[in-house]
Amino acid sequence: MAESADVVVAGAGPAGAAAALVAARAGLRVVLVERGPFPGSKNMYGGVIYPRVLDTLLPRWWEEVPVQRWVTRRATMVMTGTKALTVEFRGEDWDAPPYNGATAYRADFDSWLAGKAADAGAELVCSTTVTGLLRDGTGRVTGVRTDRPDGDIRASLVIAGDGVNSFLAKEAGLYEDWSVTHFTVGVKEVLALPREVLEDRFNLTGDEGLDIEILGGTQGIPGGGFLYTNLDTIAVGVVLSLAGLRDSGKRPEDIIAALKDHPAIAPLVRGGELKEYSAHTIPEGGMDGMPHLAADGMLVAGDAAHLCLASGIWLEGVNFAIGSGALAGETAIEAIGSGDTSAAALSGYRRRLENSFVLANHRKLRGAHKLILGKRAQTVYPELACGIAQRVFTVTDPQPKAGLRRWVHDERKRGGVRLRDIVKDGWVGWRTFG
Amino acid sequence: MSAGSGPPRIAVIPVRSGVLPSGAQETIAEAGGAALLAGSGTAEAAAALAVDAASVATAEIGEPAFGGWAAALAPLLAPYRAILLPASPDGRDLAPRLAAVMDRPLLAGATEYRDDEVRLARYGGLILDHVTADGPVVVTLQPGVRGTEPRTRDLPAPEPAAVKIPDGHDAAVLAVSPPDPGTMDLAESKRIMAGGAGLRGPGDFRLLARVAAAIGASMGATRVVADQGWVAHERYIGTTGVAVDPDLYIALGISGAIQHVTGLGAPRHVVSVNTDPSCPMMAMADLALVTDAPGLLEALARRLGIEPDAGAGEPEPAGARGQEASHG
Amino acid sequence: MGVPRYIAAALKWVDLRPEVDPLAGTVRHDTRTSGLSLADAAALEWALRLGESWQLPVAAITAGPPEARAVLRDAAGFGPTRLVHVAADRDAPSDAIARALAPLLAGAAVVCCGDYSADRGSGSVPAFLAHHLQAAQALGLTSLAPEHPGSLVAQRRLDGGRRERLQVSAPAVISVEPGAAQLRRAPLSGLLAAGRAAVETAAADQAPEYGSRVHLLRTTSYRPRPKVLAPPRDQLPRARLLALTGALSERMPPRVVRAAPEQAADQLIGYLTDNGYLG
Ligand SMILES: Cc1cc2nc3c(=O)[nH]c(=O)nc-3n(C[C@H](O)[C@H](O)[C@H](O)COP(=O)(O)OP(=O)(O)OC[C@H]3O[C@@H](n4cnc5c(N)ncnc54)[C@H](O)[C@@H]3O)c2cc1C
Ligand SMILES: Cc1cc2nc3c(=O)[nH]c(=O)nc-3n(C[C@H](O)[C@H](O)[C@H](O)COP(=O)(O)OP(=O)(O)OC[C@H]3O[C@@H](n4cnc5c(N)ncnc54)[C@H](O)[C@@H]3O)c2cc1C
Ligand SMILES: Nc1ncnc2c1ncn2[C@@H]1O[C@H](COP(=O)(O)O)[C@@H](O)[C@H]1O
Repeated sequence: MAESADVVVAGAGPAGAAAALVAARAGLRVVLVERGPFPGSKNMYGGVIYPRVLDTLLPRWWEEVPVQRWVTRRATMVMTGTKALTVEFRGEDWDAPPYNGATAYRADFDSWLAGKAADAGAELVCSTTVTGLLRDGTGRVTGVRTDRPDGDIRASLVIAGDGVNSFLAKEAGLYEDWSVTHFTVGVKEVLALPREVLEDRFNLTGDEGLDIEILGGTQGIPGGGFLYTNLDTIAVGVVLSLAGLRDSGKRPEDIIAALKDHPAIAPLVRGGELKEYSAHTIPEGGMDGMPHLAADGMLVAGDAAHLCLASGIWLEGVNFAIGSGALAGETAIEAIGSGDTSAAALSGYRRRLENSFVLANHRKLRGAHKLILGKRAQTVYPELACGIAQRVFTVTDPQPKAGLRRWVHDERKRGGVRLRDIVKDGWVGWRTFG
Repeated sequence: MSAGSGPPRIAVIPVRSGVLPSGAQETIAEAGGAALLAGSGTAEAAAALAVDAASVATAEIGEPAFGGWAAALAPLLAPYRAILLPASPDGRDLAPRLAAVMDRPLLAGATEYRDDEVRLARYGGLILDHVTADGPVVVTLQPGVRGTEPRTRDLPAPEPAAVKIPDGHDAAVLAVSPPDPGTMDLAESKRIMAGGAGLRGPGDFRLLARVAAAIGASMGATRVVADQGWVAHERYIGTTGVAVDPDLYIALGISGAIQHVTGLGAPRHVVSVNTDPSCPMMAMADLALVTDAPGLLEALARRLGIEPDAGAGEPEPAGARGQEASHG
Repeated sequence: MGVPRYIAAALKWVDLRPEVDPLAGTVRHDTRTSGLSLADAAALEWALRLGESWQLPVAAITAGPPEARAVLRDAAGFGPTRLVHVAADRDAPSDAIARALAPLLAGAAVVCCGDYSADRGSGSVPAFLAHHLQAAQALGLTSLAPEHPGSLVAQRRLDGGRRERLQVSAPAVISVEPGAAQLRRAPLSGLLAAGRAAVETAAADQAPEYGSRVHLLRTTSYRPRPKVLAPPRDQLPRARLLALTGALSERMPPRVVRAAPEQAADQLIGYLTDNGYLG
């Protein structure tokens, strides 16, 4: 005999947990199914969460969210084979509520958020994998099948929060354009350092944290790198265009190894003891690769809906997952309340996303990945920037300094960079980020 | 402390059909040479002692019935401050019963006994608790951690003790079967190639068996691997598994936990393959290869002209650990 | 002992992947990686099987901190079992645990345990239980075969590769090796119901006392004890010295090589060849 619920949420990642939290709070019977032994047990990501999205869901979340460090400094490093130029921002007020970002382990964060959903009444079932959709004669989704004995659960609505490459979204036919160019692959190492060494090395005190995003450190493969500080570990990784990686014939672990050997990174990671190595695909994000968001009886949230920004120096996904999950939960309440969970009745979901930061940001940054992952941003500009910086900082006595205009011109010529392209990219950049 | 009043220590050795359990000699040595051999064939076992003994008592009380044994032996043992047993299967089972009957604390799994400090292996032998006891104790000693000095003197004549087993409710021994012939090759092999949790699954072990055969070695494993069902339980080496004593020991993806290495004897050549250069097995090795063990196994197979079979290298089957979620 | 009324599983809540600092010997626990060990899962499975074959109800019991109730919910997933929790310290000694559990296990036909707990690893709680319950003990079982209700034949491993077959009758405490059975998967309905299952908490006066006679001096990482060496047989002092120091023996100095698998395989083959293991 099948169990039944109002809402079944597949996947207790940030998207699924947020959806379950919202729906359960409204008194719906929610079953949250997770394949790992506990939420977050198998989930990997870079390491920084921007949790302001929780402000409305869990006021004063910062008092209990399990973080490693609060990000008080964000740096962007532009590098060539041997040189690096870093721009760093320090925000003192990022070290106090409401904070800006935090480094956290997913095992901690996801467990915490799913725990909130369970507190609100959602029934969390772990070590259980959703293996298929239940449908009626019209093709409408009526529940899920799991890998447990008598493991069917019927539900008025299924929310797929099962992450990138969502098997449920695929089965429901929501992915249309399936192309490798929309994916990046992230690989990451976690290196342990004694806390004092880490704080000394990165000049951190208390719970301050640093995050560094890196452009140009990926051996010419479109992508970016990152280095984040946790309490007594650092996360170093790269995000690489899947197509670029394939064409290069290189292996992701070699790219990380090279990044760690770079003269600007090596002293930061020296002596770190490898604690884990992991890899995961990421939807590159942006509006272009987005699937349909609703089917009859089903909604898709988080990475499953490609609501993630992972192009070069951005790595944001958890915030979008929570945002979209919460909106899916709201949509569920409304639809179940009205007794209609057809795709048409669920169309409010997309509207909600459009009106929130989730799709607003995606709309704004549409095309950003093309810019960031383009050849100029990846290799030409880093050379240019580092070259200029080197000239600015090199003392050439007894030769007189040539002056910035001259240096820029020389470096541009050397790198074969056309002014036209700089202006064009500058314009795209301004429109995107401005 | 009662250390001054009366004999301080005695080893209690459960004997079956004249066969001493693993760790018997070490336990007697640790007890300073006083021993009580209890069970069947105790006189024969007493004659087989290879360590110096100050006194040997025998209690011919048949097959194990641990509740009854404990009740019967307790009066004999009362004068001793420390009662030491080997942490062999029978020693492990008798020791708590003695401790309970005699109302003494049990210090289980010791690596060393001194009157003022006992070291107990915990967490699979990763850490040691150093403890001290206020009064008399019962101790089990891990086999293989101590070693023994060979006997220099004649053994004293065994003194039979008159012991009567009271009626009680114990399990009855139906039969004891000799070692499984399937593992005799392992116990007697001079070359062993063993795999641990650093390999990926049953497929790797099938390949390991063939690679081992190609270099004239038997395949061994750790308990973790046997527990997961990747190899037969008869294949695991260690305190609770098969005791071996090869010349060559090659460890693939084995961390070198105490219960494993104490079953190893004293191999002349040890090779360890592990991604963690600082684990105990690497520290023991003459050649420590810091590399991916499954990868090395495949490379080795190619060099020895072994075709990997279809199942080799397959990842751990889902649920191989048989682990249910503990977090519902 | 009266008529056996039920089968019990004594389940310990342990950290399956504790983080042990190899230098300091400190242990860090995480409740999320804590739960049933493989051996205790096998014990639970056997409790369920014995319950089925003798048509007796099953009870699951644990002693530990409040979080330990998690292992009872694992058991609850399999249907109507009585669930009992006794408050106890995580590090309470085995005899104290057994004393806490025993009063709640009176009347059990068979108490099923795991052979060793992963942390303490003494395998002694079941034997202490057998003492308190005046039950037969059969520990470290690799397989068992239930006969008529209250009777079973069990096989266990002795040292040196020998095995033993035992006839066991109720009341009995058994402990099983992790390989003795694989725990079945709980049905989804059971799992959902388990979240709402009632757990009895044993009265406070049944909680163990810790007036322990054993004191922890300190904890360190494991360091092997120097093994006693047999004195060399040679009579000449010089030969004895050489043998003891190994000065002229062929043992090569330890070598640590970091290499890709292919190169490492070459190193290994070279080593085997140099030492006469390969032609
Ligand atoms: C290398 C890398 C670095 C990143 N860095 C960052 C960063 O620094 N900051 C940031 O905000 N984002 C980052 N991201 C993106 C972020 O990880 C994702 O956007 C985010 O995790 C999406 O959340 P989700 O809930 O949609 O999916 P997921 O986190 O993937 O969660 C899906 C959940 O569903 C479960 N599941 C899957 N299939 C099933 C099934 N069939 N049945 C049951 N359960 C199932 C999974 O076990 C998992 O718990 C990074 C991603 C990668 C790969
Ligand atoms: C009372 C008791 C009795 C026990 N008796 C025994 C016994 O008789 N015999 C026994 O063996 N155990 C016994 N154990 C278990 C023992 O404590 C250890 O848990 C076990 O020996 C560890 O097995 P392992 O080395 O295979 O696994 P682990 O300790 O998990 O080690 C795996 C190793 O593989 C390495 N590794 C991981 N990935 C790779 C890779 N890709 N390439 C290379 N290396 C890799 C890791 O660095 C690690 O060193 C007993 C335990 C208890 C409590
Ligand atoms: N705290 C406990 N609660 C319930 N059962 C326990 C507890 N401690 C030990 N046991 C049982 O005794 C077995 C052996 O544990 P130990 O004697 O600690 O090695 C375990 O596998 C459990 O079945």
